[in-house]
Amino acid sequence: MSQNALSRELALRIGLAARALPDTDAKRLLTVLAHCVDAPLTEAKVAALDLLTLKTACRGEFSHLGDDVLQQALSILKNTAAEKILPAIVAYQEGDLPNSVRIACASDDAIHVNGHFGACTWFMVYQVNRDEARLVDIRTADIPQGLVVDDKNVFRAEQIQDCKVVYVTSVGGPAAAKIVKLGIHPMKLAEVVSLAEVIAELQQVMSATPPPWLAKAMGIAASERFKFEREAAGS
Amino acid sequence: MALYIVEADCISCGDCEPVCPTQSITEGAIVFKIDKRTCTECEGDFDVPQCVKVCPIDNCILPLEA
Repeated sequence: MSQNALSRELALRIGLAARALPDTDAKRLLTVLAHCVDAPLTEAKVAALDLLTLKTACRGEFSHLGDDVLQQALSILKNTAAEKILPAIVAYQEGDLPNSVRIACASDDAIHVNGHFGACTWFMVYQVNRDEARLVDIRTADIPQGLVVDDKNVFRAEQIQDCKVVYVTSVGGPAAAKIVKLGIHPMKLAEVVSLAEVIAELQQVMSATPPPWLAKAMGIAASERFKFEREAAGS
Repeated sequence: MALYIVEADCISCGDCEPVCPTQSITEGAIVFKIDKRTCTECEGDFDVPQCVKVCPIDNCILPLEA
């Protein structure tokens, strides 16, 4: 299938561009794009797309939409606005950040933790220790076309199974139970805050007195932890 | 005969506290803890220990070796 050949970057941008259009999911946009250009879909072909082609393609699927929204979707597709949309992923190798934990943040705009676990556009995956935080991955948790999964929430949780904590603005009860079952600690935030704030807060907890489960996730030896705990007990 | 909470695994969710028939679970300085003098492992009240049943973490509440 042509989508299998899509680069990760382009696939992400198609998802985002679809979001910019009313009542459009990635699948619908992809169908229209397939009419605009010959398979396979590549960066070069997308870059050569113009507004009129997009508007009239697929027997005018998008003809009722305003030029402004289509233009916006097009600029997202072409990556001309990309730096404002998706921050760059930084390479991470095991051991780069000692005593770090991997966390995922449910986000719809790549700026705030504002996503619902079961519906967010992206999981922003960070590796965080007391002093540093690196964006190591941006994952969509949409179920690939054609794949049948028993449980959407289990599938989504599996996409971030390497994370210890997932920050969300909302998550259903049964979904939360499934997340916990996979060894991920769901954190529901009371209000929408930026990714940077969430990370700063976590770093503060990590450098002060992390709760035992977090200390364990950070890989702090039990003997060291013991010291922390006595201090906590004493205060 | 009593249960204990593994400190390194407890996430302090507090789900176990209200289900204890003997009120043996309290929030400690670090995580929740079970009073081994009063814990009955729910013997006489339930078939299975209620705290183990509701705890979201596997192997977080274990029998105390005598």
